[in-house]
Amino acid sequence: MSDSYDEFDDTTLRERIEANPRPALLWALGVLVLLALEIGRVAAGIIRVGESARFALGGIMSIPATIEESVAGTLGAGAGTIAFLLMALVLLVIAAIVVKWLFVPVSLVKRLDIDRGVGTNDVLERALITAVLGVFALLIVATPLGSAVEALIDGVTRGLEAVNSIQPITSRETIPNEGYRTGDGGWEGTFLGLSPAWAWALRVAVVYTYAIVWLVWLWKGYEIFREHYREADWTPRDDSINRLRNHYWGLFGFVVVFLFIVMALWAQPLSPVTAEANLYSPYEHEFQYYDDGSLETITHGTANVQTRSQGGDSNVGLMSYDQYDRFAPFGTNQDGKDMFTFLAYGARVSLVVGVLATGLMAGIATALALMTAYYKGLLDLVTVVVSDSVISMPRFLIVLLLSVLFMQANHPIAAIYDGGILLALIFAGTGWPGLWRAVRGPSLQVAEQEWVDAARSYGQTPAATMRKHMSPYIAGYMLVYASLTLGGVIIGVAALSFLGFGINPPTPEWGRAVDEGRPYVSTASWHIATLPGILVVLVVTGFNALGDGIRDAIDPESETSEGDAGAAATGGGG
Amino acid sequence: MSQESTRSEPAVSNDVDVDANATKDEDEDVMVQVRDLRTYYEGGGLFGGTPVKAVDGVSFDIKRGETLGLVGESGCGKTTLGRTLVQLESATGGEILFDGADATELSGAELEEWRRNAQIVFQDPDSSLNDRMTVGEIVREPLDVHDWKTPRERRQRVRELLDTVGLQREHYYRYPHQFSGGQRQRIGIARTLTLEPEFIVLDEPVSALDVSVQAEVINLLEDLQDEFGLTYLFIAHDLSVVRHICDRVAVMYLGHIMELGPTEELFTDPANPYTHSLLSAIPEPDPTVEKERITLHGTPPNPRHPPDGCPFSTRCPARIRPDQYEHLDNELWTRINTLREVLRERERADRTVTDRIREMLGKDPRFGTVGEIFDELFGDQQVPEDVETVLDQVADHVRKNDEATALEILFEAFGSVCESEPPAYYTVSDSGRQSFCHRHDEGYRAPDRVLDERHRQQ
Ligand code: SF4
Repeated sequence: MSDSYDEFDDTTLRERIEANPRPALLWALGVLVLLALEIGRVAAGIIRVGESARFALGGIMSIPATIEESVAGTLGAGAGTIAFLLMALVLLVIAAIVVKWLFVPVSLVKRLDIDRGVGTNDVLERALITAVLGVFALLIVATPLGSAVEALIDGVTRGLEAVNSIQPITSRETIPNEGYRTGDGGWEGTFLGLSPAWAWALRVAVVYTYAIVWLVWLWKGYEIFREHYREADWTPRDDSINRLRNHYWGLFGFVVVFLFIVMALWAQPLSPVTAEANLYSPYEHEFQYYDDGSLETITHGTANVQTRSQGGDSNVGLMSYDQYDRFAPFGTNQDGKDMFTFLAYGARVSLVVGVLATGLMAGIATALALMTAYYKGLLDLVTVVVSDSVISMPRFLIVLLLSVLFMQANHPIAAIYDGGILLALIFAGTGWPGLWRAVRGPSLQVAEQEWVDAARSYGQTPAATMRKHMSPYIAGYMLVYASLTLGGVIIGVAALSFLGFGINPPTPEWGRAVDEGRPYVSTASWHIATLPGILVVLVVTGFNALGDGIRDAIDPESETSEGDAGAAATGGGG
Repeated sequence: MSQESTRSEPAVSNDVDVDANATKDEDEDVMVQVRDLRTYYEGGGLFGGTPVKAVDGVSFDIKRGETLGLVGESGCGKTTLGRTLVQLESATGGEILFDGADATELSGAELEEWRRNAQIVFQDPDSSLNDRMTVGEIVREPLDVHDWKTPRERRQRVRELLDTVGLQREHYYRYPHQFSGGQRQRIGIARTLTLEPEFIVLDEPVSALDVSVQAEVINLLEDLQDEFGLTYLFIAHDLSVVRHICDRVAVMYLGHIMELGPTEELFTDPANPYTHSLLSAIPEPDPTVEKERITLHGTPPNPRHPPDGCPFSTRCPARIRPDQYEHLDNELWTRINTLREVLRERERADRTVTDRIREMLGKDPRFGTVGEIFDELFGDQQVPEDVETVLDQVADHVRKNDEATALEILFEAFGSVCESEPPAYYTVSDSGRQSFCHRHDEGYRAPDRVLDERHRQQ
């Protein structure tokens, strides 16, 4: 047996890759090429993330000063300073706990050999990290190191900005579609002199091809990992993935959701005109068109007035050019704005609000489900009472009421994303009890499993037990219910906007388009309301289908009664 | 596998234990002392209610290196007792002294540290292993929790352990799904061994397995005990397995230990009436041996409301009877017993408003009318005159819904010390075997003689 010993000696993933680097390198090369094609967009993304992180950090760091001010105002300067120090300490301790949890897997106390008995070790550990963080914070604030870090960040930002200006392959500058028709019938300013329609179609094709290549490459990466680097020949997840691959209804859902997400992410290059020029500030953006032998310049705003779709003669329908030679694949809306641009950016809004609301909801529901199932007792009771009270209120009415309330009061939250964030919060606040209820059964069941007892018997902490031994069994259900909920939130936002609340103009939103297009449904401009309506139905169906697919993939038992389950799902959905 | 046993630390401690065992220094080397241990489950719901007395005052010692068996019917509290010993349930009262320190007093970090020493193997290997983790992760987790050495050494140790329990090192990256029940139980055993505990509770470790693999797992457990000097509490309802593996056996009924003593002695010459009944249920391998069959009537009482005296008094075939009824027909005696249980049940049950209304209307569907009950019980019996009188009195009171008085009359007539006072533990043999029964007292005839007389004739 000693001979086979080394053979099965353990290696880390890095060592396994070092032993056989070819497949991994090839794959990484592919990723680099894909990234390089979109380098500008990637840089822009990093800058945006960095900026928001900085903004958030700045906000947190101003807390002690704010508290100092208010305390000093009432209790005097000395108390203010103490309050400042206390608050700073509290923040440091919180940061230390997070840092320990995320980045320090080994026990410093034991490594440094300052074991003080089991009770104090945990505290000591946190204190050590707090001290390190504190010293670090002091260094940054009080010494030149701070400005050095500042300079470094500035440098990186500038570098990124430089990269940012490199044209991505999917950008509208690479394949421009806005141009004008010259007297002889040719096109000026478009890609290779193609007609705007073809140039736009080409760009759409490029965007989707790029996204699909990414998808394929990620899958390939998973396969490479599975084949060359994973030590287990088989995992329970393999079966789930195989089941999902043969689940056509689920795959349909996946395709729809994929198309939708790509539309939201690449809304800018997918639109025939930019949202900035056409939707937000149409009177500040000009374009040129050829009129009776002379080149004219006009703002989008002025042109839009002439291209309104309001039924009868005034209509710019599907796949048509308006009189200024702008191509409108989905026609224009009643204000003369480009429908496709409106819908593409609307997808982004729906996705952001939907994902944010569902993410929050799922987070709250999962945490509560784990804790109530583990601790039971009073906590469970309180959660039942709270969630029942939330559920017993008419949800849509509450959402309506709250959103109107915040918007009328001009609360700062209502200003972010034209009310999108507010809506997400409201949906999350009213929606978590439903999700919690949905996973309560499974989580109580998993809490009864003996492996949870086993974990307790060798001293595993409750938090780790919940994370390792309970949450994997809930995650599947959560994914299913979350995808169903996401569809619900999208419909909800659309419905609110349809009623004139929800997302405010000019931020595009599908429901509002349906509302605004309603008077023209029976006229030539039927497309204004119909197209977004179809899109909402399609996307929501897609999320439901994907949820069904995932459920059948993780829960093989449901496969046997697929007929019934399918019927029930459709029945429930209808 | 042999090269495994050369590992130093366990081997050393092993030697010490074997020596201690060999000298049979009985009083000296006590590892676990359980004193008057009680574990109650609070009655469900917000309003408390009567707790379930799963373990109701047990005391015993476990000696270092021995295997103590714990047998009893399901629901007698043996699993709860095992789980309390490893602090998976918290004791309501009493002490569990491990090497002199009380484990029930521990909490927080001290408890976590203590847990290294006392581990448990669960009954159902399907439920005791987390299916989403590889075998390696499962077995390694205790080491991760206690931050044992470096991750690499942890993985090494896990592989060695897999080897020790008869699996292969390569199984590290397999998932529990890929193993049979017996192999899964081996994984569970490997996990309990990771922290080198001294004491392991085996909670029916083979009862969920195929008969063909039970023996293998039992042998593995015995080998491990020898190799690492482990101390076992072996919980089981399969008496033949217990007889095979255990040094001493404790027989449990309704939260109490009825008899405790060396295995062979207890099996060949049981002292307590409950042990008699339990053993008589084992089919005798030799069919020519004439054997008394003692059939127990009814079910164990609700542990929420145990009887006042001896816990076994509601079903005991050797129960002490008043002299004048000593030779009452067994069947009739059983019926009287049943009547008493019915009355106890009626006394406890709250009558709802609807029930009261139904009663006033002369309907009493919940328990049947008093007449029906008596008909059912005594219709086909030859009831002697004196018994008849008592039963009539009882029936009168029951009709008036005064079960308390009815029970009192019943007790006056047929009751004895068995129902009124809990017995004490009597030492019944030279080996120090203990039995929990009034009949070992001077004034009464010993259980086996009574059982012979009452049950041989049938
Ligand atoms: S005390 Fe009485 S009821 Fe209990 S076992 Fe002994 S004889 Fe039976």
